[in-house]
Parts: sequence; structure tokens; C-alpha cells
Amino acid sequence: MSDHKERLEQSLSALMDGEATDIELHRLLKEVSEDSELRDKWKRYHMVSSAIKGDAAIASIDYSAAISAAIDEEPAHRQSGLAVFAGSAGRFAIAASVALVAVFGVQQLNSPLDSIAPVSEFAGVEQVNEENTGPAIQFPSGFQPIINARTVSAGGNNKSSQFVTPVIEVRQKAERNYSEAQLRAYMNDVMAKHSNHAALNSNQGMLPFARLNEAEAAAKKE
Amino acid sequence: MVFLRLVRTIKVAALVAAVLLHGPLFAAQMESAHDLMSKMAKASRELNYQGLFTYEYRGNLTSVKLTHAVQDGQIYERIQHMDGAQRHALHRSDKVDCLRTGDMLLRGSAYRLNDQSYARLEDFYEFHIKGQGRIANRQVVMVHVLPKDKHRYGYVVAIDKESGLLLQSVLMSHTGKPLERFQFVDISIGGSLADLGFDLEASDFADVALDQSNCIDGNRQITTSAPNWSTQWLPPGFVMASHKIADGDGQESMMFTDGLAVFSVFIDIDKGRSLPAIDANLGATVAVLTKADINNQEYAICVVGEIPRATANQIANAISLAPPASPSMSPLP
Repeated sequence: MSDHKERLEQSLSALMDGEATDIELHRLLKEVSEDSELRDKWKRYHMVSSAIKGDAAIASIDYSAAISAAIDEEPAHRQSGLAVFAGSAGRFAIAASVALVAVFGVQQLNSPLDSIAPVSEFAGVEQVNEENTGPAIQFPSGFQPIINARTVSAGGNNKSSQFVTPVIEVRQKAERNYSEAQLRAYMNDVMAKHSNHAALNSNQGMLPFARLNEAEAAAKKE
Repeated sequence: MVFLRLVRTIKVAALVAAVLLHGPLFAAQMESAHDLMSKMAKASRELNYQGLFTYEYRGNLTSVKLTHAVQDGQIYERIQHMDGAQRHALHRSDKVDCLRTGDMLLRGSAYRLNDQSYARLEDFYEFHIKGQGRIANRQVVMVHVLPKDKHRYGYVVAIDKESGLLLQSVLMSHTGKPLERFQFVDISIGGSLADLGFDLEASDFADVALDQSNCIDGNRQITTSAPNWSTQWLPPGFVMASHKIADGDGQESMMFTDGLAVFSVFIDIDKGRSLPAIDANLGATVAVLTKADINNQEYAICVVGEIPRATANQIANAISLAPPASPSMSPLP
């Protein structure tokens, strides 16, 4: 849930930067009509943005409720059953054509001489719920291309330090007879040892050492 | 209408022709992609080179200067971080001809796991040459390495055409998103130890312990096993490449590889009581710590590696004490 919210906020900030994709915009528009918190955020972001740009007259009055009430009053905007049907049929047609375009697009990108599309994206993505329950994932002829190549914003993890320490989640919070420092020391230690193992035994050459962060490098010296 | 139908027929015919023509080409590619990978395994070990590379994960970027040289059959390596706090590391490895399990797998040897099954890299990854490119001002061949199951990640790698060195490696999630990226920005190949500045550190290197564990010996046998523990489940294709018996702190470790991906298992006796069960990750590396209560002794079992979390979980939960006789692994002739 919070994950969903975070993604929406990222989309919103992307929108403010003029970098949101159509899908993101669509989702935002859908959510903003239901989520007052998001709506407030939207408003705030726009206020901040216009303040930065030096636009005068920042209105903080919310006209939206009054406007939508006024629209509801208008007989022309009351939806008839037929209109609803026609509307959804139209939407379906659009969805179908988008799907068709997507299929063609994917085929094009998957062709053997494709450019290396996915690699141009930043390696900044958290792995999202790669559950082991589904069928084995098949890539017939290449990684599924990322059609939108917008760089992923760096997220909240590099606020001050250049190095990110492991994100640690404690699964059961029963009795607490450990300290966080102890936990971090342990994690850093095993990750450093793993990097050493990997460097010696895999063919990734020096890559495992690059994975070591500052704390781990310190742990290694001991 | 007739015209449209004709156009459609021509399109279908063209598509069929393209597919048919492409078939044999594809088979030839597969082989050479694998040759490239094994050339890469050799080159990164045996050549002298110095270069700058960047390593990027979760929106973070670090840069590292790497120097690698071989002299008198020994490998010298210096890793210097170019940003953040000053730090560098020296490595001195054993004989350049010491092959390890990972090398064997990548060079196309198969291991006999038991009487019925073999582990071979091609069984678990597909290799596709994806054209050419330019990395660090050198011509490279791009290779997509695709996992055939959900227990390992794929890679997009760039291999230097001339030398076979790995110049770029991007670890890709199952949804096709980059998890981490390693890429040279500048590299020079060749040069002696003195050229590379290693002579200045000769005394420092004398202090660095030689690592000589787990070479595959002359008769191509490897006898790695952990007699105290058994892995009830391993992702297919992974074999144990090293094992360290319990150290002073009571920590025992094992390492597994399928030739590309690597994960380690740490088993702590003393820490079992003091550590909680945790999930952790750092960039593409995940760690899963579970606790096991065996014979009134609490163990902490930690799986660390660049593998999907679900796989790490499954491995961690399948480790148990006291084994059936562990299978011996030997490469096929």
C-alpha cells in the first residue's frame, strides 16, 4: 500500500519535472480524484513550483469542489446509460489500439538487431516483488524492453552519504536482545566475505569488490 | 479490398521468410557467444590492464581504479576507490593457472552432480549476441545472458573484441530492469608491473596473504563438500565451490556458483541466540537470515548473494544439519 503511494508520489514529481509517462499521468489523474492527500500534495507541489518560477498570485483556495458541484448541476453533464456504454466502448477501442501498438513495439525492440534498450536505464530500481510462485520467466529473444527510458529518481536512500548501507528488515520483532549496531556489523561482515568469495570464484573479476561499501571495506580490514 | 489482402499476404510471407532465414544464423551465434564468454573468463585473469570503472546501483555511483597484472605466475591486483573516503585494497592471488569452479563452468566444462544429472552453464542460461557497440573507446560485442528459470538473474555484458575483457556488465531483474551496472570508462591493456606502478608497493604486497583455496587440481577433480551440513534444496545448476570450516567465532561458510551467479551461506553457532531473523539488501545483493533450532542449539543461517530474494529464502530454509553422504562432483572428460 505504502509502496503504491510512494510510486504515485514519484510519478507526481516526475510530472512536475515534465517527465511523467502517459501511463503515470493516467494513473495520477485517476487517483487524484479519490485521494485527498494526494490532491493536497499535487496542489502544494504546484504552489512550490510556481513560487520557484516566480509566478505571482499563488492561490491557495480550492475551487475544485465548487467547480465539480457546478458541473454536476449542469444537465448536459449528467451521464445517460447510453453515454456510459458509448464511453466505455470508446475506451476499449483505445485500449485495444494501444495494446496493438505495444505488441508491434515489443516485436520491433525484440528483433535480434535491436539496440540495447534496457541498458540505457539507470540501475536504480528496487526489485519489486519477484515472487517465486509464478511460472518460470521466459525471455524468448531478449530482455523485455523498457519502453520508457526515463531515469529512475534516486529514491530516498542517498540523502547525505554517498554510500548506502544495507537495508535491513527484521522479520520477527519478538524479544529484542540485539543492538542495531550488532546487526549492521554482522551484515557488513557477511556481505564483505561474500564479495571476497565471489571475486575469487566467479568470473565477474573485480566486480564483487566494487560492491563493497565503505563500512564493509572497514570490516574487511579487521 | 483485394489490394489490402494482397499486402497482408506479402507481409506474412516476408515474416515467414525472415524467420526461416534467421534460424541457422542464430545457431551459429549461440556457439560464438559461448566462446566469447570463455575467452572472457581467461582474459580477465591472464592479461595486464589498468582502467577506471564505475559501479552503479540504486541511483548511487562509485568509481574505482583497477590495476591487474600477472608476473611469475602470480596475480597482482589493486583496487582504489576514487570517491568518498580514501581507501584501496591490494590482492595477490595464487597461480594464474589455478582454475576454480566458476572458471570451469564458464569455460564449458560440466560437473557431474550425481549419476543422472550434470551442471552445465548452457542448461541454465541462454547466450545471445546482440550486435556491437563502443565502451571505454573500444569496440565491444554485446551479449545478452538470459536465465532459463527464475532462480537467477540475467546479464547484459559487453566484451572487448580485441582482448576479450569484460568492459560492461549489467545485472538485469526478471522484469528487465537493471539492478546494478558495472562499466569501464577508460582502460589500457598491456604494460609491465613497473608501468602499472606495482613496484612501488612491492613491500605492501608482501604483507598480503596469498589465497590458495579451492583450485581444481591436475586430474580435474574438485572435492568440495561441507560434511556437517546438507542442502536439501539448491537452485538447479549451482555447485559448491568452496567451504570454510568454523572459524574462531564459530562461523562456517560455503559458497555456491552456477558459473555466473554466486551466493554464500554462513552458519553461525554463537550468533543464533543474539540475532533476529532478517531480510537485508544492498544494491543487487540480498541477504536472508533465518534461525534454526537443532538439538537445542540455535543456529543463524544466512544466505547472501546476487540472486532473487525468493530463491535465497528457499535455500536458507532448506539447510539442515547432518547429511546424507554428499555427492562428489567431478568434471566430465
